[in-house]
Amino acid sequence: MEVFTDYQCPSCRSLFEQTLRPMIADYVASGKVYLMHHDFPLSGHMYSGQAARWANAAARVGEFPAVEAALYDNQGAWETDGNIAKYISAAMSAVDFKRVETLAMSCDYPAITSRLDGSDPLAQMAHPCALDRYIAQDIQMGYHIPVQATPTYVITHNGQRLPAGSGVVSWPILKQFFDSLLSQ
Amino acid sequence: MNKDARKRLGQILLIVGRIALASIFIIAGYAKVKPLPGMAWSLASIKTSLLMFAIQVDSYQMLPPWTANALGHLLPLFELFLGLWLLTGIALRYSSLIATLAFCGFMAAIASAYHRGLAIDCGCGIGPLEQVGPAALIRDGLKFLPLALAVTIGAFWIHRKPRAASLPEATPSTQHAE
Repeated sequence: MEVFTDYQCPSCRSLFEQTLRPMIADYVASGKVYLMHHDFPLSGHMYSGQAARWANAAARVGEFPAVEAALYDNQGAWETDGNIAKYISAAMSAVDFKRVETLAMSCDYPAITSRLDGSDPLAQMAHPCALDRYIAQDIQMGYHIPVQATPTYVITHNGQRLPAGSGVVSWPILKQFFDSLLSQ
Repeated sequence: MNKDARKRLGQILLIVGRIALASIFIIAGYAKVKPLPGMAWSLASIKTSLLMFAIQVDSYQMLPPWTANALGHLLPLFELFLGLWLLTGIALRYSSLIATLAFCGFMAAIASAYHRGLAIDCGCGIGPLEQVGPAALIRDGLKFLPLALAVTIGAFWIHRKPRAASLPEATPSTQHAE
């Protein structure tokens, strides 16, 4: 299951809290489902690109799950003032945070977001930082789905990509759907 | 155009409208029960498709999960049943009235989701994937709902009881016989 999300989008938060969290603890942990996260920061959200950078920096040091949870759990707080670092630092050790911070701060220009015209967000950049290259790859992937809103999810079963869905889905129903797929 | 010709034309239009309306429901129902890409027809694959639709119903966030799940399983079967019922023309007044109410219900759900700012697939089952919003509302409101209303009004019109005052032809022959 591939999920295209924006850390500042309320529906993405609901999907994470109500569905992905129990799914990760159950079906992902047991190997029944392989979950892939893709960033799709929306241009209308002021801090979502920055949050995606922090999450990608955390992934480089093996702290993605903790940071993803911290971003969604505290979405209502950091989206008002953009102080994301405060919640990232609380989610990991001081040493790890220092490494994550160094990576996140290596991008010395405004964070990128998806574009309404479907163009490459790095098209005008001569030397984009490594983290933004990952985010831009996800955005480009999203354009091809096509992602029209967040969250959007795509399930691939037996090499066959099923039609994309969007919005929040309850874990009990999604679980039944996975059971149905896995029984075939 | 005399009265008989008008009635015949009305009946033909009603048949055409009835078939068009039936097609909408049959296509929508079929799209929801048909196996997902890469799967063969089987009870298991139909169940998977119905669960996929239940996910779409659930994304409207109007019903608790168990109700959304039940509706996701029943609605496609209801659409197929209603489409076939309309096709037969049996008790058309009632089948077309139910179809009209169904469209009203679908439009209310789409309008509600749009009003709440949900960016989700409408799950309409007609044509490509479509998000809830003005396009889906216009399609249902300007095409499907008027069609269902026209068939309903036509069905009631055709089946109306003749009034006593509308039988003038019988009077002279009755008088002549006397």
